[in-house]
Amino acid sequence: MGLIQQSLWHQALQSFIVFSMKRNIIIVSVIATILVSCKPKLNEAEMIPGDIDVTRYVSIGGSSSAGFMDDAMSFYGQENSFNSIIAVQLEKVGATGYSQPFFLSGSVGVNFDGLSSFKLGYKTDCLGATSLSPVRKASQGDLSALSSNIYTSPFRNMGVPNLKSTEVSLVGYGNPANGPGNYNPFFARMCSNQATSSVLSDIVPQQATVFTVFLGFDEVLAYAKKGASIGSLTPVNGAPGVGFEGSYEQLLTALTQNGAKGAVSTIPDVTELPYFTTIPYNGLNLDEAGAESLNQVYNPIGLFFNVGSNPFVIEDPSAGAFGVRKMEPGEKLLLSVPLDSVKCFKMGSLFPFRNEFILTNTEISQIQSATNQYNAIITSKAAEKGLALVDAKSFYAKLQTGIVYNGVAMDARFVSGGAFSLDGITFNPRGNALFANQFIDAMNKKYNAKIPFAAVSKYNGVIFP
Amino acid sequence: MLRFLLLLLSFSSLQESYSQGFQVNFQGQKQQGMGSAGAALPQDGASLFFNPGSAVFVKENSINVAMTPVFGNTLFEEANTYESARTNSPMGTPFSAYALYKLKEDGKLSLGLAAYTPFGSTIQWEDAWEGRFALTRLELKSIFIQPTVSYKITDYLGIGAGFVYCTGKVNLQKDIPVMDAEGNYGHAELAGKAQGFGVNAGLYIEPSEKWSIGLTYKSQVNMAVTNGEATFSVPNSLEPNFPSGKFSSSLPLPQVLTLGAAWKASDKLALALDINRVGWSAYDTLAFDYEQNTASLVDTKSARNYVNTYAFRLGAQYKITEQFTARLGIAYGITPVPDGYVTPETPDANRINFTGGLGYLLGDHFELDASLLFTKFSRTDINTETNLSGTYSTIVVAPGLAIIYRF
Repeated sequence: MGLIQQSLWHQALQSFIVFSMKRNIIIVSVIATILVSCKPKLNEAEMIPGDIDVTRYVSIGGSSSAGFMDDAMSFYGQENSFNSIIAVQLEKVGATGYSQPFFLSGSVGVNFDGLSSFKLGYKTDCLGATSLSPVRKASQGDLSALSSNIYTSPFRNMGVPNLKSTEVSLVGYGNPANGPGNYNPFFARMCSNQATSSVLSDIVPQQATVFTVFLGFDEVLAYAKKGASIGSLTPVNGAPGVGFEGSYEQLLTALTQNGAKGAVSTIPDVTELPYFTTIPYNGLNLDEAGAESLNQVYNPIGLFFNVGSNPFVIEDPSAGAFGVRKMEPGEKLLLSVPLDSVKCFKMGSLFPFRNEFILTNTEISQIQSATNQYNAIITSKAAEKGLALVDAKSFYAKLQTGIVYNGVAMDARFVSGGAFSLDGITFNPRGNALFANQFIDAMNKKYNAKIPFAAVSKYNGVIFP
Repeated sequence: MLRFLLLLLSFSSLQESYSQGFQVNFQGQKQQGMGSAGAALPQDGASLFFNPGSAVFVKENSINVAMTPVFGNTLFEEANTYESARTNSPMGTPFSAYALYKLKEDGKLSLGLAAYTPFGSTIQWEDAWEGRFALTRLELKSIFIQPTVSYKITDYLGIGAGFVYCTGKVNLQKDIPVMDAEGNYGHAELAGKAQGFGVNAGLYIEPSEKWSIGLTYKSQVNMAVTNGEATFSVPNSLEPNFPSGKFSSSLPLPQVLTLGAAWKASDKLALALDINRVGWSAYDTLAFDYEQNTASLVDTKSARNYVNTYAFRLGAQYKITEQFTARLGIAYGITPVPDGYVTPETPDANRINFTGGLGYLLGDHFELDASLLFTKFSRTDINTETNLSGTYSTIVVAPGLAIIYRF
C-alpha cells in the first residue's frame, strides 16, 4: 500500500468513524430518552366525600377555630387554622365557597389587649442576657382591623376568638353598644347585624351540609389562663346560654336539623399545654447566700430552702396563718409570669407568686374534672346525633410524648416541640395540619369518605430568626 | 483500551439503588444477560468476580471492560394525603474491568485483577417532597479492587481467592424541619470517605463435560467512615444548636454465599443457575456519631433490622452462529428489608428481574457483549422511625455493554 493510498484510507476511516459516532450519539440519545422516560405510573387515588354532602362546610369554634395563633388574630393564623386546612382538603372532594373574615395579609395581628402577634426574636433580660424569645411583631396591634364590620355575605368559618359554648346563642355578642368588655370585637367585625346577631343566628341560615365543632376549649382556657383566679367554669348542666350541655345540644340540634353530617371534638386537658408546663414548679435555683436569706425570712413560718433547685413560693389563702407556701409537684406556673421580676426582683421567692400566675393542684383537678364532664357530653351527643367524634384529648395527650409524622418529630414543648405557636396554647400551622387530619380521619371513618389528609410537612412550624 | 479503562474508572460510579438492598449485580455482561448467574459457568474475565476458582478454566488471557448505565425511577405515593413524588436520580454507571492472565504454560495458574462496583446507590428525591425530613439525597459509592489467584488442582477442580480492597464514599442529605423567616428549611449534609477490606474466594468443580458446580464466598466488608464532615445550614439563631463538624459512621456491605450449577446441554446451549445467600442481617443499625453533640444534635441510631435473604438466578445462552450468541435470564430476589423499615433511601421490595443479552465475536481478538435488564417492583409500608407511610413503585432499565480483548 503506497503512502498516498494509506493516507486516503486513513481519511476514509476517519470520516467513517466521525459519521458513525454522530449516528451513534443520536441513537444513544434516543435510547437514553426512552429509558429515562420509563417511569412508574401514578395510581389516581380515589378521593371521595362518601356519605357527606360537601356543598357547604361551616366550622364552629373558639380561638383556634378562628385562626388565633402567636397570641393574636392575623391573616397568617386564619389561613393556617385547622378549620382552613380542613376546608382546603374538603375542596379536593368537591367542596367550594369556604369563606372567612380575613384580616389584610400584611396585618401584624391583634388580640383582645390590642397587642400584635408574637414572632421569635431576641430579648435581653434584666441580667443583660440575650436569648431567643417571643417578641411582639409591632408595638401596637392592628386595631384598625377591629374598627369596622366587614360582613357582606355569611362567613363559613364561624370560629370566633374566646367563644364559649354559652355565648353561641347570645344576641348582641358582637354589639359595640354594649360597651368595652361586654361584647366580642372579633364577632363585631364579622356578624351580619351587630345589634341582633348571635353566632348561632349567623350559622343557621347558612344551612351547612357538613360542619365541624370544636367548642368548650375556650371556656376552660379563659379560666385556667388567669390562674383560676377570676371567673368560673361554665356549669356542666343547664339550659342553653347557662350550662354546657344545654348550649351544646342547642347548637348541634340547629346544625343537624336538615341532616347535615359533621365532626365534633372533645377538648384537651389544657394543663398539658406549653403555657402551663414550660416553667418548672421547682425552678427557684438558689446559691448559698440566696438560700440563707430566704431561710431567714421563711424559717419562722416553717419553710426551708436548699442550695440548688427549690419550689417557688406562692400565695395560698388556705396555707396556714400567713397564706404562703411552696409549690407542690404537679402544680403549674403560667407562661404569663413576668420572668424579669423572678430573675431580678425575687418574685416567686421573697415575694410569693399571686394566684393569677399559678394553678394549684386543687385548681387543676377542678379544671380536669370539668374537662372530663364536658367531654362526656360531647361524646354522648356525637353518638346520639350520628356525628364523627374527634378525640382531641387523646391527641393532645399523645403530643406530650411526641408524634412523628413523615420524619417530622413534634411534641408539646414550647418552641422546640414544633407544634405549638408562640402563645403556648394554640398550634402553629404544622400543628394545625396534624390536628385537621384528626377531623378528616374521623369523618373518613364515620362517613365512608376518602378525604385526603393535609400534608403536614408542607405547613410551617415555628419560624426562627 | 487502557484509555477506555481509565475513562470507566474515572466515572464516579453513581448507582441507582436497583437491587436487593443496595447491592448491585452488574459485574459481567454475559452473566447479566443470564439473570446474573455465573458461579459455575466461567466464560471470561468476569469469572474473577463470579467465581475466582473458575477463572483458571477460562482458556484465553483477556481484558474485559464493561459499563451498565442504570435508569431507575421511583414514585412515592403517600398513603393518606395521596400526594406523590418522584426521584430525579442521575443515571447510574456501575462498571467492571477485568484482566485475566495465564501464568503457566500448562494452564494451572491464572492471575487476575478485578475492579467492580457491587454496592451503591444514588437516589435523589424531587424538591420539597413529603419525605424531605427523612431524606433528600443519598449517594453511596463503592469500588472493589481485587487481585486474584486462581489455581487448577486437577482437570476438574479449581480454587481461587482474591483480596478485596474497597474504597467508597457516602453523602446523605435531608432537610431539618426548622424554618427561617424567608421560608427556607434547615438542611443537613453528611459526607465521608470509607475504606474496607474483604475476600472473594471460590471453588469450582467440573465433574463431567456437561456439568459444573461453583461455590463462592464473598466476605462482608465494613465500610467505616471515621472522619466524615457534617454540614448543617439552619436559621442563624439555631446555629449553636447544629454545629457543623466531624462525624463517624459505618455501613456493612454484606457477605454473599453462592452455590451455582451449570449444564452445557450441547455445544450451543448452556444453562446456569445460581443461588445467593446474602448476609444482610449485618445491617441492623445505621448510627451517626457526631463529634460535637448539643441538645438538638444528638447521636442517632436508626434501626434497619435487615434480614438475611436469598436470590435465585437462572440463565440460558444459545450460540446462534459462530459469531452470535443470545442470552436470556430471570432472577427472583427476596428483599432483606422487613416491614416497617422501608426507607426513601432504599425503597426495596421482592422483585423479578428479566434479562436478555447478545454476544458478538469481532475477529479473533475482540468480543462485544450487550445485556438488558428490566424490573419493576412496588412496596407499601409505614416506616417505624419516621412514620413515612405510602407506596414506593420503581422501574429499572439497565442496558450494558462490554468489550473483551482476548490474547
